[in-house]
Amino acid sequence: MKGIKKSQLSNFLQQVSAKYSLYVPAQVDGVTRFQKYSSEREPFLTANTQLSPKELFFPQTEQLYCYETHKQEVKVEELAASSEPQVLFGVRPCDMQAIGVLDDVFLGKGYEDVYYRAKRANTLIIALACSQAEATCFCDSMGVDPAFAPQADLMMYETEDGYLIEALSDQGKDFLQEFSSALEELRSEKPQAPACELKAETDGLVEKLQKMFEHSVWAELSRKCINCGTCTYLCPTCHCFDIESKTRGGKEVKFRCWDSCMYKEYTLMAGGHNPRPTKKERVRQRFLHKLQYMPERYGKWGCVGCGRCIDKCPVNLDITKVIRELREVEA
Amino acid sequence: MNPLVPIIGKISKIVDETPDTKTFHVTTSNGKPFTPLPGQLAMVSLPAVGEAMFSISSQGDDHLEFSIKKVGMLTEALHDAEVGQEIGVRGPYGNGFPLDFCKGKDMLFIGGGIGLAPLRSLINYCVANREDFGNLQVIYGARSPADLCFKEELFETWPKVRDMRVDVTVDKGDENWQGNVGFVPAFLEQLNPSPEGKVTVTCGPPIMIKFVLQSLAKMNYQPDNIITTLEMRMKCGVGKCGRCNIGSCYICLDGPVFTLTQLNQLPNEY
Amino acid sequence: MNQITQEMRNLAKQLLEEEKVQLVMGWEKGSFWYNSTPVFVSKVEDVDKLIWDEFCAANLATYLLDDRFSDEKIALFVKGCDSRAVNRLVQDKQVKRENLYLIGIPCPGMKSAKAAKELGQETKEELPLEDKCIYCTHHNPLVYDILLGEEVALDDIAATAEVSRFEGVEEIEAMTPDERYAYWQDHYSRCIRCYACRNVCPACNCTECCFDLGQTWLERDVTPTGNQVYGIIRAFHVAGRCIECGECERVCPMDIPIMKLNRKIAKDIEELYGPYEAGLDTETPPPLGHYKTEDPDEFM
Repeated sequence: MKGIKKSQLSNFLQQVSAKYSLYVPAQVDGVTRFQKYSSEREPFLTANTQLSPKELFFPQTEQLYCYETHKQEVKVEELAASSEPQVLFGVRPCDMQAIGVLDDVFLGKGYEDVYYRAKRANTLIIALACSQAEATCFCDSMGVDPAFAPQADLMMYETEDGYLIEALSDQGKDFLQEFSSALEELRSEKPQAPACELKAETDGLVEKLQKMFEHSVWAELSRKCINCGTCTYLCPTCHCFDIESKTRGGKEVKFRCWDSCMYKEYTLMAGGHNPRPTKKERVRQRFLHKLQYMPERYGKWGCVGCGRCIDKCPVNLDITKVIRELREVEA
Repeated sequence: MNPLVPIIGKISKIVDETPDTKTFHVTTSNGKPFTPLPGQLAMVSLPAVGEAMFSISSQGDDHLEFSIKKVGMLTEALHDAEVGQEIGVRGPYGNGFPLDFCKGKDMLFIGGGIGLAPLRSLINYCVANREDFGNLQVIYGARSPADLCFKEELFETWPKVRDMRVDVTVDKGDENWQGNVGFVPAFLEQLNPSPEGKVTVTCGPPIMIKFVLQSLAKMNYQPDNIITTLEMRMKCGVGKCGRCNIGSCYICLDGPVFTLTQLNQLPNEY
Repeated sequence: MNQITQEMRNLAKQLLEEEKVQLVMGWEKGSFWYNSTPVFVSKVEDVDKLIWDEFCAANLATYLLDDRFSDEKIALFVKGCDSRAVNRLVQDKQVKRENLYLIGIPCPGMKSAKAAKELGQETKEELPLEDKCIYCTHHNPLVYDILLGEEVALDDIAATAEVSRFEGVEEIEAMTPDERYAYWQDHYSRCIRCYACRNVCPACNCTECCFDLGQTWLERDVTPTGNQVYGIIRAFHVAGRCIECGECERVCPMDIPIMKLNRKIAKDIEELYGPYEAGLDTETPPPLGHYKTEDPDEFM
């Protein structure tokens, strides 16, 4: 199988970055996330990134359009959605699955989000199979193969001497062709998929949850939650956003920014009514959204088992534990 | 077409409905911004203040109407606006009322306060397409005579329409009030319209809806024939931004109009 | 099982059985060996969830704010820092002392969960303390109804004994304004505005927060400047009320050194108004909460 020798990786990345806007997982200013590649920046490939690659398609803050006002007049100026051809290198299978979820949300159900589409349609994704699972990983419980990402354009496998690479899509094939001179035949075999130690039993979960909206377990489960947005902001599938404006002089920019179902004002209406007034309703919304509403609406889990929320939740409100408790109680 | 960017319209007329409610007519140089179905929604924005979802309370040949109660920052700013003010509008959003289902049937509208606004789009549709519907009846209540919206239609226009009756009540009368005094659910039971061949559409404060539904059940109205329209906080209007979901239903896309049968299958979180 | 854990469970059982309290707030074992997490016990059969180990860093006093208007009787385990938080909340009239049954536990300093995760279980004995515990000045609870275990002496905790309360603050003070700006810009540029620092903070007891009112105080777009404004406003809002429990920094998913800012302000307050540590008792008025004629007035 063709591949890239470890010693040749930076050479390969440099070639790609000469032609495309290349993003790689890297550690910068104390945080691992997908960053624009530069030759001084060593890619971080030993574990998944703290922040998910969703920010490349759905940035935390994104300008939508400008308004200009003068007395009673209002002028709208659309901002062109960015469309630079880009390559994402080293996306893990869980995050690739999550990008598929975002595709369904932003590109499906009757309306296309032009800002998301502009970036997504111009992106080629090279996924990287996981060779080991971290303690917080449970993707194989959520239907993800830790060693394969079918929705990626190219699939890469780390072996002892290098990275095997295979094309999964037509764009992927073209890409391999384009950079064929940087590839060589490697002798190593595809590695075995690692098994996650952490498990979540999901059989029949949707059907059970459909009967549990009013269950008293939500009050108990939510008790320790502090309603911060950490889980939702680190989550690779969470996509809720707010639309606000920023005024400087007469010129106003409408932007959207990540929002979180954990926040009180997320559903607070102008008249003061709030359909989710306490943390019980908000925590219930988060878990049911991932484990019942997404499967009902899009036919897939809203959780991909990346484990970021388990790792960073200030109070260890562990979704696998929540699933276990939801299974244990009587519906 | 970018669904998040508004078209710019102009306020062409402002009608004072009550001390805290005004109806805004919005038009563009090409006529009305778009042609919504009765019951559909639109995002209305004022630069530098904000954007929010409103039901379109009626439409004319060249304009849309929004009947807006003053409850927050945006609605206060709208109330301060004058004719000629340009505003952003985008839509139409949501499913609207099930016109095909209603056609040929008697229509009963039960509204409370500003809750008459979404019903009004359908009432005026029925009036404009009078031959498509059976008898029309509006039962409407507000806190006081001053709080009654759409007074001209309530007391002048609608009562003159063929086979249409309008019954109005107030929680508390004043020295000039000659009509009924009492809450909407009690008034409804007192009028006791027959459920036979009838579709009921209701909207109002949650507490009114709750008791209206109880009264309708008592009077043998079937959940399939009871329709209501919901309100949730919304930002995108196109099913992406989260927040307006009830269970796996997005109110901006799959609602805001539901039959009671559908509503009974949704989680109670609105 | 350690003896404190056993005593915790016995006591919780007794309190619930005798109906002295309706709820016991403590810690239970989390998903991994290196985390212990808040637990709320209201049934006798659940008391065995309670544990005490070297990872019980969470300050439970914050949860009192969830029930601040109820008259439920609550038992709460308090370390030194937690007890200071309770004092502050009582002093701010957020909770009523008579509704609380405080079970003090002297704390030798908690072990760093972050380090534990990285270093592995075999290093359990040599794990460093949580940062917040290194500059801790009050390992023993300052207020309690009953004390479990023996009081610890500051000098016995080697990691803490030599570290001053304002360790590291001088570094910031020594910076030029430009360096200082760059320092905070670097850190706050990665803030994701998840508000974990605010939500975990026992000094953040406003029922309506200025950051929740939309555009009034700070726009919601996430920019390095906006993030710094967020950090600064928060630091000023808790100035003089921050009990230095370090929870904000411990829970920050982006590892922003928030306590450096809070401790800088605490240091300034000492320099301006004399020795003061928040939450040592419920009587001493906070220096920024009252006026004295001899207060410094060089700004006038």
